Amino acid sequence: MLETRAVPLKYDEALESALSRIESLLKGSYGVSRRAIGLLLLQGDRQVEKQVSEQDAPSFAGIQGIVAEARARYNQPLSYVIALRQQHEVKRILSATVTAKAKVGAGFAERLSRLMMSPITGVPILIIVLYLCLYQFVGVLGAQVAVKYIEDTIFGEWINPWVTELVTTYVPVTLVQDLFVGEFGIITLGVRYTFALILPIVTTFFIAFSIIEDSGYLPRLAMLIDRVFKFIGLTGRAVIPMVLGFGCDTMATIVTRTQESKREKVITTLLLALAIPCSAQLGVVFAILSGNVMALLIWVLAVFLIFLLVGYLAGKVIPGERSSFYMEVPPLRWPKLSNVMVKTLARLQWYFLEVFPVFIIASILLWAGKLTGAFDYISSGLEPLVRFIGLPPETSTIFLYGFFRRDFGAAGLYDLNEAGILVGVPLVVSAVTLTLFVPCIAQFSVMVKERGVKTAVAIALFIFPFAFLVGFVLNWALTSLGVSL
Amino acid sequence: MSLSGKILSVFGLGGHHDCCGQGSQATQPGLKKVAIVGSPNVGKSLVFNRLTGARATVSNYPGTTVSIMRGKARLDGHDYEVTDTPGMYSLLPITEEEGIARAVLLTEKPDVVLHVVDAKNLERMLPFTLQLIEAGLPVVLSLNMTDEAEAAGIMVDAARLEEVLGIPVVATVATSGRGMDILRRRLGEHARNQGCAA
Repeated sequence: MLETRAVPLKYDEALESALSRIESLLKGSYGVSRRAIGLLLLQGDRQVEKQVSEQDAPSFAGIQGIVAEARARYNQPLSYVIALRQQHEVKRILSATVTAKAKVGAGFAERLSRLMMSPITGVPILIIVLYLCLYQFVGVLGAQVAVKYIEDTIFGEWINPWVTELVTTYVPVTLVQDLFVGEFGIITLGVRYTFALILPIVTTFFIAFSIIEDSGYLPRLAMLIDRVFKFIGLTGRAVIPMVLGFGCDTMATIVTRTQESKREKVITTLLLALAIPCSAQLGVVFAILSGNVMALLIWVLAVFLIFLLVGYLAGKVIPGERSSFYMEVPPLRWPKLSNVMVKTLARLQWYFLEVFPVFIIASILLWAGKLTGAFDYISSGLEPLVRFIGLPPETSTIFLYGFFRRDFGAAGLYDLNEAGILVGVPLVVSAVTLTLFVPCIAQFSVMVKERGVKTAVAIALFIFPFAFLVGFVLNWALTSLGVSL
Repeated sequence: MSLSGKILSVFGLGGHHDCCGQGSQATQPGLKKVAIVGSPNVGKSLVFNRLTGARATVSNYPGTTVSIMRGKARLDGHDYEVTDTPGMYSLLPITEEEGIARAVLLTEKPDVVLHVVDAKNLERMLPFTLQLIEAGLPVVLSLNMTDEAEAAGIMVDAARLEEVLGIPVVATVATSGRGMDILRRRLGEHARNQGCAA
């Protein structure tokens, strides 16, 4: 078979003459044709300009002259002129190769799609999706039914007694016994938190999330809440990292790359670090507050208001232009079970490779901290802060956990609630404060990688006192209003 | 990995963070290279998974892939390194991940560039094909989601399109695997032809 050779598109005379003059001046090696480099220069591509100024330094000024001259000959920006020419050519090609039958009315999927994006019907649909997927599936099935079973039956009746027996029989030293089965034991704290609390919650979340994302609902949600996001200086583009943040804020911080401007990236990173609880936090909060609708509502409202307030202020403070929003809306599709499973497994694998070692190391550090007194020292340092927001002193431990990982702190919250130490107003206050409280180590390191040390540190330094301030105000408001939960 | 490296990566310091654990970041020397490019949400990652047997994360929204993924594929009897890139609408990047994708084209000198497009929206997709041809890159065009196009009553004459554009054009359905064998063969052929021409 003869290999047909593709012929590049011809532009109008003025552009072609500018192009051939630029091409003759380009001597460097660019990986793509000189023609393409010329076109990118004409369209004002900064990255390519920089490359050419380095590789073809002597003729760069001359090239800039040709570009300026060409621009002056057109009323519109050259990127527009060039895109228009390409569009025409594509239309010409398609008229010869594509036939489209006229469509008959809008199908069910199309009607549902419109309902999802219109504010009047879109908000109720959103509430139904949240209720079914987050509350019922993750909050009730994952965080209550599955956690109860694994925690009480598998760990409570089988693993814990068996391991404790084993360790106390074969290891005579209490100190070493504690390392495995004590208050902060590797098995009784690290392994139990990972598998009994975090695993069921995160698994159910990832399943729900995979189904939602494969259905094509997220871009429609982005269109729906674009207006709310405009208020806080973001566009609907921020919806996907935000929703992903409910899974894991660390993952989501990486996905801020899909945003256009630096300003949007900083605001999204800040809001992810502050006001978006990750799946484990969310699941635990649902589990411990679901018995009390009022408490749950206060938590939702408090976190949402903080999200809007800080987002709005950040939008005012952080300089830069607002970018416009345009997103492809793919068709609604039935999620494929195999893809949902594969994705859930891949995410779980990623999550556990990250979380499990941290939990184990945290257990060891806490054990060592207890031993050396460092733990009590830091705990007592946090105690005044904890008292300041009206919480019992035991709570300082979970804030210490929270430094390691958000989900670790959430798991601690679950334990304190089970033990009856945290109930009523203090429970809500601690749930809100812990939700806002510092990004975990993993998230922080990704923030440094994506946004730079200065921004990351500034965000963390803002969040730490701010979380406690909110806790204080909330506690004060609830107690002075005489709210009893 | 050294012990200190391991400890650092446990805390997420210095380790690579991505929701997609498979696929490595570094490029392998010696192998011929295939780069997959195209607009967001046209199924590049599914095509990548089909070609390499990897499991890059696939979703129904634009912007799932934010960093470069690499894998190995056997095409027409030879081994290739296949690179999956974040979506980009044109050769002129707007966002950071589009910049990442373009860098693959500008710096890595792929032996074949596989442009994956949504067969339903050719009008919006083909300008980028023209730009890739303009750039002198060895392009193969994959008309993906042909099933959805057919369901919408859109019929594309792939053979005719191939003639007009002067590049190999293959109709595919990456979700079901339709057309993937032909795509493999055409990619391999095209890569070898490039080798002869050079």
